[in-house]
Amino acid sequence: MRARGARRFVADLLRGRRPRSFRADDTDVGQLRAAITLRAAQPGSATPREEFVTDLHRRLADQLATEQTATPLPAPRPVVDSTRRRLVAASSIAVAAAAAGAVVDHTVISRGPAQSGAGGEQTLIPSTGQWRTVSASADLAEGGVQGFDLGTVVGFVARTGGALRAVSGVCTHLGCRLALDAAARRLDCPCHRTSFAVSGELLRYQLPVPPAALPQFEVREMHGEVQVYAPPGPV
Amino acid sequence: MGGGADERGADGPQLRVVDGEFYPDWEAVYRDNVDRVYRLMFAKVGNRPDAEDLTAEVFLAALRPLRVSASVGEVRAYLSATARTVLAGYWRRTLGREITVLTDDEGLESMPSETAAASDATARAALILAGLPENYQRILQLRFVESCSVREAAAALGISVAYAKVLQHRALRRAAQLEVDG
Repeated sequence: MRARGARRFVADLLRGRRPRSFRADDTDVGQLRAAITLRAAQPGSATPREEFVTDLHRRLADQLATEQTATPLPAPRPVVDSTRRRLVAASSIAVAAAAAGAVVDHTVISRGPAQSGAGGEQTLIPSTGQWRTVSASADLAEGGVQGFDLGTVVGFVARTGGALRAVSGVCTHLGCRLALDAAARRLDCPCHRTSFAVSGELLRYQLPVPPAALPQFEVREMHGEVQVYAPPGPV
Repeated sequence: MGGGADERGADGPQLRVVDGEFYPDWEAVYRDNVDRVYRLMFAKVGNRPDAEDLTAEVFLAALRPLRVSASVGEVRAYLSATARTVLAGYWRRTLGREITVLTDDEGLESMPSETAAASDATARAALILAGLPENYQRILQLRFVESCSVREAAAALGISVAYAKVLQHRALRRAAQLEVDG
């Protein structure tokens, strides 16, 4: 019986048809593998049909169009730490920044190779930057959060456990400006209900893929002022 | 934030992610990789309908996360990983065991050009054929590689159709045996 399944599989393969499924056993495996390897050597077989390529292109365009107009998913998802997805999602920052017009020429988003974890290790270091004051030290008490808009970049600076941290104020999904919920110490995206911690970590989202954590700015405190390293202001 | 359009202009390089080239949009991802994914799949399933379905499955599953731009290396690694999963799922669904696998070395990243890929496939087939007696070699070459009908193969070998079928069956069994032996 099983031998018949394998034989039919091979016959289908030889006719260029989709082989029918059956429960294969150990003795079938080698034969089927050899048959496939031999079949893969047919001349000209390695190129997809033009109609197939065109048709799949259309299906993909349809799928993406449907998703973009899709209504939000029912409930916020918790953040899942899927390394692979995070890795790919990380590059959405470049798009978000460009869409928001928030980054001037020569600005490069630095990025370590696959180690971007939940903490938002990416630091935005402009090629041409300067230390720019975003708050008086006195106005940023322990536990406080301040928004800032430097013309070229927007962000939030927070003092937590004595340490300062500044993050971008632009959602890494599609570039909407984040709003501070001071009580919750949370940054909310007005567009798709994504939320980030003031430290830049993703807290919740309703998108197919988790957006990347917010990029950090370098931040320092000098002469009673809190400063971030940012591109110079527009003239 | 005003004047964004003016700022992104004339002088200076384009905004880029530092680790290598990247794709401007999903269509570029698709155009640049559809042939590769298809080729990868065809080598592992040996028939067009399945290779097309599996290629479609890879892109339908992978392109959503890839809607935004990503570097070429990242995109290919991601497509390869998706292809591995899709192929494994296909075998589980159809035969209940994995007949062929995409190893870590067989990704889109390391994929040779079209002509090199074709000669790879030819070389793998030749390796199988080389271990077989001549009449086995010939029947498999005619039937599998050259896509002759049983009748045509039988005529070419000067044997009956019935015997050609038997010969093909034995040849394939021996080919499978070779693989087991090493």
